[in-house]
Amino acid sequence: MRQNWLEWFALAVSVLAVVGVVGFLVVDGLRDEGQPPTPIVEVRYPEAYSTDHGWIVPATVTNDGDRAGEALVIRATATVNGEEEESELTVDYLPARTAVEVSIGFSAEPDGEVTVQVVGFRLP
Amino acid sequence: MIRGVSERVDSVHKTAQDLLRAVSGGLLVGLPLLFTMEMWFHSFLLPSWKIVLLLGVSFIVVIGYSAVSGFRRERSWTELLVDSMETMGIAIVVAAGAMLLLGRIGPEIGLRDAVGKVALEAIPVAFGVSLAGSQLAARGDDGNDQGMVGDEGGPGTLGRLVVAAGGSLLFALNVAPTEEPVLLGVEAEWWLLLLVVGVSLATTFAIVFYADFRGGRTLEQRNGPLSHPLSETVAAYAISLLVSLLLLWSFGRTDGVSASAIAGQVIMLGVLASFGAAAGRLLVGGSADSGGKE
Repeated sequence: MRQNWLEWFALAVSVLAVVGVVGFLVVDGLRDEGQPPTPIVEVRYPEAYSTDHGWIVPATVTNDGDRAGEALVIRATATVNGEEEESELTVDYLPARTAVEVSIGFSAEPDGEVTVQVVGFRLP
Repeated sequence: MIRGVSERVDSVHKTAQDLLRAVSGGLLVGLPLLFTMEMWFHSFLLPSWKIVLLLGVSFIVVIGYSAVSGFRRERSWTELLVDSMETMGIAIVVAAGAMLLLGRIGPEIGLRDAVGKVALEAIPVAFGVSLAGSQLAARGDDGNDQGMVGDEGGPGTLGRLVVAAGGSLLFALNVAPTEEPVLLGVEAEWWLLLLVVGVSLATTFAIVFYADFRGGRTLEQRNGPLSHPLSETVAAYAISLLVSLLLLWSFGRTDGVSASAIAGQVIMLGVLASFGAAAGRLLVGGSADSGGKE
C-alpha cells in the first residue's frame, strides 16, 4: 500500500511524532502526583541594574509542583535607605515545572536582601 | 492502472501532492485555534491524561471519518488504522511547526508545556488533514480513488451519526476553550435555554432535510428507526450535547459548577455542536437506501 520512499518517510515521521507526544504525556501523567503549585522565587542579585527611576533586580519564578497556578501575586520587601519598601507583581500563569522571568523594582539599591513572599494564586 | 517505468517518479510526485493537501487542509481548519490564547494556556492547565484522552477521542473520530468517507474504499482495517495514525502524525508535525513559527514554543518553554501545546493544537489540525484526504482531492487523479461517497450509496445511519459527532467536535472545539460558553450558559434564563434547544433542533433539521444543500436529503427516507428525519435530528442533537459536555469537562468548565450552569453551558455550546453535526452530515450526504438526492 505504500508505494514509494516519500510515503514511507511520511509514515515513519508520523509514527515517531505520535509515539513521542503520546509517550511523553503518558509518562508525565504517571509521574504526576498532583502536587499543588509550589512557587519558588530566586532573586538574581548579580544581574541587578539601576535606571533613572530606580533599581531593578531580575528574578526567576519556578513551580516545583505538578499543578499550574494562575494570577500568582508576589510581594517583595526590602529596606531602602533605612525605610521599608514594598514591591508587588503578578504572574498571569505559572505552569508546572516551568520558569517565568520577572523583574522587581525598588526606588534605590536596598541595604540588605530582598525578602519575597507569595501573596496568593488561583488554581485553574 | 498501467504502471510504466516513469511510474515511480509519478508516484512520488503524487505523494508530495497528497501531503501538501493534507498540510493545507490541516492549517485551513486548525488556524483559528492555533491563534487562540486559551488553547496555549490549556496546554499546562490541563493534566496530561486529559490531553491524552482528547487525542484518543480525536483519533477515534479520525478513524470513523475515514471509514465513512474514505477516499480509498477498499482499505482493510489495518490500512485504515495506519492511515489514521498518519493523519495524527502529520497533524502533530504541522501543529509543532505552527507553534514554533508563532513563537509559542521554543528553548525557553518547558518541555511539558511545549508538548501539551502541540498535542492540543494537533486536534483541530488532524480534523483538517482528515477532511483534506477525502474532500479536497481532485477527482480522478488516482486509479485507487473511488470518488466521493454518495456516488455509490453513502454511509448508513450509524456512519452519519459518527460523522455528526466529528462535525460537532470540530465546530464546538473552536469555542469550547474560550470563556464565552461559560458566560452564555451561566447568564441564560431557563426559558431562553429551552428556546435555544428548540431553535437548534429546528435549524439543523431544516439544514439537513429541507434547505436543499448538496448532500442534503429529502424527507421520505426511512430505513430503521434512527434514519427517520426527526429521530436522526434528535439523535444528532443528543450526540452534539454529549460532545459539548465532553469538551466543557475537558477544559475544566464543569469543575465545581452547579448542574443548571453545566446544562446552560452544554446547551449554548450545543448550538455550535449541532450545526457542526449538520454540516458533517451534509458533507458525507447519502442515505441508507439511496445515493443522496443528486
